[in-house]
Formats: sequence, C-alpha cells, structure tokens
Amino acid sequence: MRSENELITLINDKLNPLEVNILREQNMSVKLKKDELVSGLNYLKARGYSHLATISCVDWIEENEFELVYHLFSYEDKINISVKTRIDRDKSKFVTIKNLWAVAQYYERDIHDFFGIEFEGNDDMEELILENWNDIPPMRKDFKTRDYVNEKFEWRDYDGQK
Amino acid sequence: MKNLNGGITMDKSKMTEMFFGPNHPGVPGNYGINYYYEGDTVVSAEPNAGHLHRGFEKLMEEREWIKNTALVCRICVMEPDINEMVYAMGYEAIGEIEVPKRAQYIRSIILEMARIQAHIFSIGGNCGAIGLYTAMHWGVLARDYILDLFEEITGGRVYHIYIRPGGVRHDIETSTFQKLLDLLDDLEKNRMPEFQKLIFENPTAQKRWKNTAVLNQDDALRLGVTGPALRATGLDHDVRRLMPYGAYDEVDFEIPTGEKADAWTRMKLKRDEIFQSIKIIRQLIRNIPDGPVSVNLGNALKYRIPEGEAYVKVESARGEYGYYMVSDGGLKPYRVHVRGTSTPLGLYGVEALLPGTRIEDVPVWAHSLGICPPEFDR
Repeated sequence: MRSENELITLINDKLNPLEVNILREQNMSVKLKKDELVSGLNYLKARGYSHLATISCVDWIEENEFELVYHLFSYEDKINISVKTRIDRDKSKFVTIKNLWAVAQYYERDIHDFFGIEFEGNDDMEELILENWNDIPPMRKDFKTRDYVNEKFEWRDYDGQK
Repeated sequence: MKNLNGGITMDKSKMTEMFFGPNHPGVPGNYGINYYYEGDTVVSAEPNAGHLHRGFEKLMEEREWIKNTALVCRICVMEPDINEMVYAMGYEAIGEIEVPKRAQYIRSIILEMARIQAHIFSIGGNCGAIGLYTAMHWGVLARDYILDLFEEITGGRVYHIYIRPGGVRHDIETSTFQKLLDLLDDLEKNRMPEFQKLIFENPTAQKRWKNTAVLNQDDALRLGVTGPALRATGLDHDVRRLMPYGAYDEVDFEIPTGEKADAWTRMKLKRDEIFQSIKIIRQLIRNIPDGPVSVNLGNALKYRIPEGEAYVKVESARGEYGYYMVSDGGLKPYRVHVRGTSTPLGLYGVEALLPGTRIEDVPVWAHSLGICPPEFDR
C-alpha cells in the first residue's frame, strides 16, 4: 500500500509528468503529454491501478483543446488517479487504449458520438447513442442547444398563446 | 441423453438474429440487445442503446448549480438519492465545503433507505424475469412502504430532491425516526422471512438462478464491474469502506461476499445487504448528533465555487456511481460526466459476456447484473 506522497515520487521518477496534484485525500490528478499517455496508463495498470472507472472528455474551447481524463483506481492503494492529457481541438484525433482495457472501446465510441474525437486503432466507431446526427457533436461548447432547436423544429401557437 | 444443442458451429446459415428490446418485458428499460442465436444459445450480441437519451450532461451545463439538484435525481429511477448525493459531494469537494455532522448522518440514513428499496425492487424484478410474478408484486408492495416514509420526510415518493450541496433540505422529526424503526422491525421480522420462503426456498428460483449468468472474477475486474456483481466473486470491495463518505466511517457493518458468482449468489447478497442496511440505519439513528443540517451557501441562484475538478463516487445498490465534475468558477458547472454503475456491463459486457447464455436466461443475465440503461444513455 502506497501513500499519495510515495505515489508522487514514483510518478515523477518514471512517467515524466507535466503536473501532479493531490486534489483531496485519496484523490490525485496527473497530467501527461499526449504521446506518453498510453505508456503512462500501462505503467500505472501494472502497479495495481487496474480499475478503469470511465473516460471523460472536457471541451476547453478557449484554449482550443480537448481534455481526455482517464479515471483509474487501485484496490490496494485505495487512491483515485485522474490521468489527463490534452489534444488539439482542430485535429481531434487520439489513440485507442482498447488493448489495455477492452471495455474502453465503448467509452471511446461514446466520446466520438458527443465530441467527435477519432480514436486510431478503434475501428468500430458507429453511432452508439445518437442516431442519424447531422450537426456538430452536441457536447462541444460551440453547439448551442437553443439555436439547434429553433433551426430544427418550428414553434407552434396553441390557441393564440406562444 | 443426446445433447440436442449439438454444440456451437458458428455456421451463419444456422444462426438467427433476434431483436431483444427496446420494448420487451424482459429488458430492464428502453434498451435493446441485438443478438444472434444458434439452437438455444446466444452466439454473438451487441447493445442497442440510444432510445432513452435525454441529454442530461448538456442540460446541466446550461443550468445553475442548485437547479441541477432537481435534475440529477432523474438520471436513474432506481437511484435518485445516489445521484443527489454524488452531485452534492462533487460540489463540496471542489468548493471545500464542510458539511455538518448531523447532515452526514441524515444523508447516510436516506442512502441506506434507498439501498433497501432498490434491493427489494431488484429482487422482485429478478423474480419477474423468471416468471414468479407474485414475488414481483410483493417486492413492489414492500418498496412502497419505504416510499411512504420518503414522502413523509421529503415530500416526494420517487424523486426526493432532498440532499443538496451543503447538507440536506431540512431536518427529520423524531417521530419519523420512530416510524422508520418500526418499519425496519416489520421488514426484518415479517417481510424478509416471507421473501425467504417465497423466493429463496422456491425450487423454480433455485433452478433458474443457480449457475446462471456467471460473471467470474477476472472478467469483473477487467471490465471494472463493481457492487454485488463483484462481491459475488469473493472480493469485499465496497466504496463505503474504500473511500468512506457520509457517516459510513462511524458505523459498524459487514460486507457480504459470495463464492459462486452466479445470479443466485447475487440475489443472496442483496438479501444479506438489506439486513446490513437495517443494522446501519439503527446505529445511525441511535448515535445521531444534534446540530444544523446544512451550511448557508448564500443566495441559491448565485452559488459559486472556485475553479477545480473532482471525481467523486459512492456505493449505489449496484456498485460504484461516479461523477466527474469540472468548475470554471462560474454560476454553472463547466462539465459533469456521469459514470453509471452498469456502464461497463450494459455496453461492452453484452458483447463480451452474453454469448454462451441460453435465450431464456438473457433476462436473468440483464436483471441480475443490474443493467440500468438510463445511466449510460443519460
């Protein structure tokens, strides 16, 4: 069983992170370069961080970047690590981690649906939740729900009331 | 006897495609499984989600922090309080807000009541999946008594909007605690023995659940499955122990585990967990401290927390329920990502683990593993 501080030393030594933080007790975040992410996840997985809770995506539109967050947990250390990396918003392409966690291919498909990120190596990128979607991916910050509704549907009057 | 199934040949001309759901009594919710079967056995399957998408995550980005407390409970019908709790925990973690002791106790009581009703309903639903409709109706009835109490405490039966950032909405009367204790006595002395006779000593249930829908430990860990499905494989992993929240670090309870990892073991675990929840609520009511039940966070429509992020999780009736929340310091959340408990099983699990199951056991598989489509189709 490792403590948060031991883990910081370990990660600083081995993973070459951009940033390591203790967010709270039992919660950490690690920021990695995008080409070192898969090897970083592989390293952590081999050291007990084998529970992949999910993959989150955040659209930082002002910095023109997408942030991918991989939530790992270790049953031995009892620590959550959110491993993060940023990719360019215009070239929204990243690599799959389905060779590490097969279950990730569905999380990636979900992100592809809602943010339009392609994952190289994951061939099955069919629509999972959305069907026949023909606008920009809806979870992007520049997708405006109200404009979409006004464009797509017409407002009706009910007995003269708007 | 000759095996009429004749083994699986994977011969395309012998396979038939079946659309199981999205409207089917054996499917838990508006969700489908498209599978091919040969003889009686499923040989390949894929999930057919998307019939229930309501855009919760996008909606949350457009509403003030407090308004989302009335929204998150709608994500999963069976776990409204869990969603409220995990949302409030995320807010408090980013804003570094200390919640009063009494509020933590009340939250834990509410969460354990929610766990009991979810387990009773789930056991009933599993009986529905194998045709024991009497048990299903009894399950609904037993759950209703708990919902009555929820109504008395919060004003709502199914959706309570009771746990909010900074504490709970209001205090619970002492007389209500007494009613709750009476209800638990009734549940323990009358209802559960009835369920024992009706369900767990029923030959049909034993025959249909034993050695059905087996999820072994390697697969469970590989997929990130949690909750009773993981504990049925012999591991005692429970978020209430691993990362205590609420008042769980101040109560004494056991975590039931099983060996066989089939539907029968999972049902027995749920039954045992109901008794543990009863034990927890009794301890909490006995030791509940006095004091305020919430902290004042100012004007509700002007809630604001600093920039930050948090991945918070709680143990729902079916396992880890997590939110990843990001704040940019504004009046609304910047991003909220919901990790529903059954996400790994409902999506990838169907593809990887369902093949090999017999057709009539597909509903048992889906119900006993706690597939809840609204949480991955949120």
